[in-house]
Amino acid sequence: MPDNIYLPELARITYIKEEVPGERAIKTFRVEPLNGDSFEHECGQCAMLSAFGRGEMMISIASSPLVKEYKQFSIMRVGRVSAAFHDLAVGDVVGIRGPYGNSFPVDDWRGRNLYFIGGGCGLAPIWPVITTAVAQRDNFKNITVFYGGRSPRDIMYKAELEKLRGVADVHLSVDKAEDGWDAYCGFVPANVMDKEPSSDNAIAITCGPPIMIKYVIQNLSQLGFADEQIYTTLENKMKCGLGKCGRCNVGKDYVCVKGPVYSWAELKNLPEEY
Amino acid sequence: MIDVQSIRDAARDLLAKGEVRAVIGYRRGSRGMLAEPVTITDPEQADELVWDATCFHNLALYLVEDRKALAHAQRTPNLPIAIVAKGCDARAIVVLMQEHYFKREDVYIIGVSCEGGGVLVEYKLARLLNGAQALSAVIDGAELVVTTLAGEVRLPASEVMADRCLECREPFPKEHNVVFGEDQTSRQLVAPFTALARFEALSEADRWAYWCRQFERCIRCFACRSVCPMCYCDECVVDSITFPVAPETTAEEKANRIRWIERSAVRSENITYHMTRAMHLAGRCIDCGECERVCPVNIPLRLLNNKMEREAREHFGYEPGASIGGPSLVASFRDDDPGQFIR
Amino acid sequence: MEKILDKQRLDDWIAALTDWEAFAPAVEDGVWAFRPVVGAARLDHPNTKQPPKGFAFPQREVFFSFEQIKGEAPRLTQKLPDSKHRVVFGVRPCDARGTVRMDRVFADHVDDVYYQSRRNNMAYVGLACNKPPSAHCFCLSVGGSPVSSDGLDVLMTDLGDRYFLAAITETGKSLMTTAGDLLKMPAAADRKQAASVHAEAVAQPQRAINNPDGAPARLKASFKSPLWEELAQACIGCGICTFLCPTCHCFDINDEVTGSAPLKGNRVRTWDNCQFPDFTMHTSGHNPRPTVGARLRQRVCHKFQYFHENFGMHQCTGCGRCISDCPVGIDIVHVVNKVTEHAG
Repeated sequence: MPDNIYLPELARITYIKEEVPGERAIKTFRVEPLNGDSFEHECGQCAMLSAFGRGEMMISIASSPLVKEYKQFSIMRVGRVSAAFHDLAVGDVVGIRGPYGNSFPVDDWRGRNLYFIGGGCGLAPIWPVITTAVAQRDNFKNITVFYGGRSPRDIMYKAELEKLRGVADVHLSVDKAEDGWDAYCGFVPANVMDKEPSSDNAIAITCGPPIMIKYVIQNLSQLGFADEQIYTTLENKMKCGLGKCGRCNVGKDYVCVKGPVYSWAELKNLPEEY
Repeated sequence: MIDVQSIRDAARDLLAKGEVRAVIGYRRGSRGMLAEPVTITDPEQADELVWDATCFHNLALYLVEDRKALAHAQRTPNLPIAIVAKGCDARAIVVLMQEHYFKREDVYIIGVSCEGGGVLVEYKLARLLNGAQALSAVIDGAELVVTTLAGEVRLPASEVMADRCLECREPFPKEHNVVFGEDQTSRQLVAPFTALARFEALSEADRWAYWCRQFERCIRCFACRSVCPMCYCDECVVDSITFPVAPETTAEEKANRIRWIERSAVRSENITYHMTRAMHLAGRCIDCGECERVCPVNIPLRLLNNKMEREAREHFGYEPGASIGGPSLVASFRDDDPGQFIR
Repeated sequence: MEKILDKQRLDDWIAALTDWEAFAPAVEDGVWAFRPVVGAARLDHPNTKQPPKGFAFPQREVFFSFEQIKGEAPRLTQKLPDSKHRVVFGVRPCDARGTVRMDRVFADHVDDVYYQSRRNNMAYVGLACNKPPSAHCFCLSVGGSPVSSDGLDVLMTDLGDRYFLAAITETGKSLMTTAGDLLKMPAAADRKQAASVHAEAVAQPQRAINNPDGAPARLKASFKSPLWEELAQACIGCGICTFLCPTCHCFDINDEVTGSAPLKGNRVRTWDNCQFPDFTMHTSGHNPRPTVGARLRQRVCHKFQYFHENFGMHQCTGCGRCISDCPVGIDIVHVVNKVTEHAG
């Protein structure tokens, strides 16, 4: 941690890709530090990105910790700061500070079957776990990815997901089908039930809209997954990222410090206020 | 003197007969003798209601809260809501109806007259009681009947009343469904706008220095805005950081929202906030005085609103909250309106 | 180190503290506040309207300024607090214990350099409460006392025509040493009087949280209680309770733009408040605390359950300000007692 926890480092945008067009556009950004080395991070951790003059936003680091040259973020255009980011170009310099929060205990999951269940832009926070697991493929048994969007246009990381097919089972879905879509049509939790993942020696990691997470957890429990086998990552409005501004707490935990990664067993012990 | 039991009976009756869905009134709180707002829905709760010189609050605020909750839940009530209203509060309700916030039939007004008195100011009472602790204080004509541990004390209400009551233009709730207490509009206590006139006697330099001092003390707790029934805007122009969003609010709207003032409680921002709020209340503020009462750092906010009220009266012959069918000040125009400002 | 200071010599002591900027309670327009000492200092205040938390945690604080010429990288200039030493006289024990809680928050997990550098240059000279300054004091039931020295550098006790001084920290000792022979050794009678003043102070009746030790568990069991909405019914959602509280520390961070070409501005911290309706509202419009009941529950549980679970102490020191200044009478003692009574 630097001496001044509120002072961001400067980073240059080296890559922008439009993942999803339209109203709820998603763009993927890669940033590299202007000076020196970037901070290291673990899967699940977040960073505060600054668009100076507009403000900061807390966002999951979507790249694997194994990638040292850049940090990747996939940002949906929903508000003041994210809209500012969508107006930026490669070469522009932004601020970054982090890493914040806890991480997925990926090392504990060696030798297990991993099920990743994402919806919408919820794929980004769990993407580092997917790519890290794939990079260390022999450490894990089966890797399965369930991912869905509202429509085929809302699917992010399309090319990357296709590339996974060799080393993982990929089950895509859309809420509403369109011509040319031949994969599952329906909500993500339903797609999960449809494929009946086995809870044997398994860990499930899910992230997406709150309603999706709710039904995914319900369905996984029905399929025999224990509370300790299900992991998710919470989001809350955040400002400092360091457990001081008092904004993001769920019960006694500041989500920016003790979270955002929680097992369902841990989450059950916190008040239902998220 | 109003018999509080008659107010309780009226409330109980309305609820028991299913004529209203709730009654907004006052009850004794946990802070000694002070009343607090309460909304009751059960006829049994009617006995909790009180009416005394500590019933400061403008309960019209809770009509606004009720309306917002209904809108949020997308419900249309089939019964009106009742409210205990003093003269000033009743005029606030009229303003809200002029602005079509709700209809006359949505509200059942249980009017209470302040008769010769009004609400008290705690420090004025403490000074007169010389250390004795007051247990209750009730208005009786032009006197305040204060019960202390040592017994009953009668004080001239005018020596304990809030400035807003001394200068009150209408201590009787003209708009009501039922009313308790006598209409004593001609109290002749202190002429309206007396405090304002006294202040305006200062030089411009002294007045500016005074306001700078006040606004440097402001901590932007927004109690003044939060307690005002007329500040019902979900999006407050002057505090563009506090602004509720719905799932439909686009990124554009959030990104393009202008920040008229910053969150910093510094003089420039505070002055802009208070001045803008006073302008937005011109012709709407009925001088319930709550903004000034609740301010934790004693900023004399009434002066700002009184100034606008007097301007409205002098230039446009306008009185806020006079009658439901009446026009609102800034939304109406008459051919004979003064036009000196048009050059 | 214990000494006696003649009340008439208080101003001389303050004058001797040439390395310090001294503050004492003063009243302006009916409002007691800590102001720079000009002329005579007085310590006859009840309590100040606002606690002294603003010294280490001001309402507004610039973190850094930014400047960005189009096409170039932005330039950030850190704005660290000055290194002036400030001493505040007349701090009540409840407010000093509040400082202890603020200190924990700003040093927890990582250090907040802005808070720390201001805090490290502060000294708090307290004044024991011979009688409760407010009808709503309840320090005793939250682990405090009218004569507590927790969080203070010096504790002063009013003995009528003189003060009994006790140094609590090294800083306190050095403040007292600077007074030189303005301070006298206490006689046995002085010590006896101080002890009896303290005993009398602690015996004064005040309000009480009925079961403070049981509060964390009982509040935890009451998360879904309908009492929260009922007790919060009249809440208008202002910031009085939190801004006047000696332990509340919520803040916002915003960029204040002062120029557009080149882009210039400051990243600023300002006080914020969990009672504002949109405090926890997500950009999506989802609000985890959409009602006044949920927000009251947050404030109360944060103070009497969550903070206790994290730090082993309540985040309330019983100063009573939120009770006396709430525009609509929401009373934290009443709320905690009612909810914990009905718990389970």
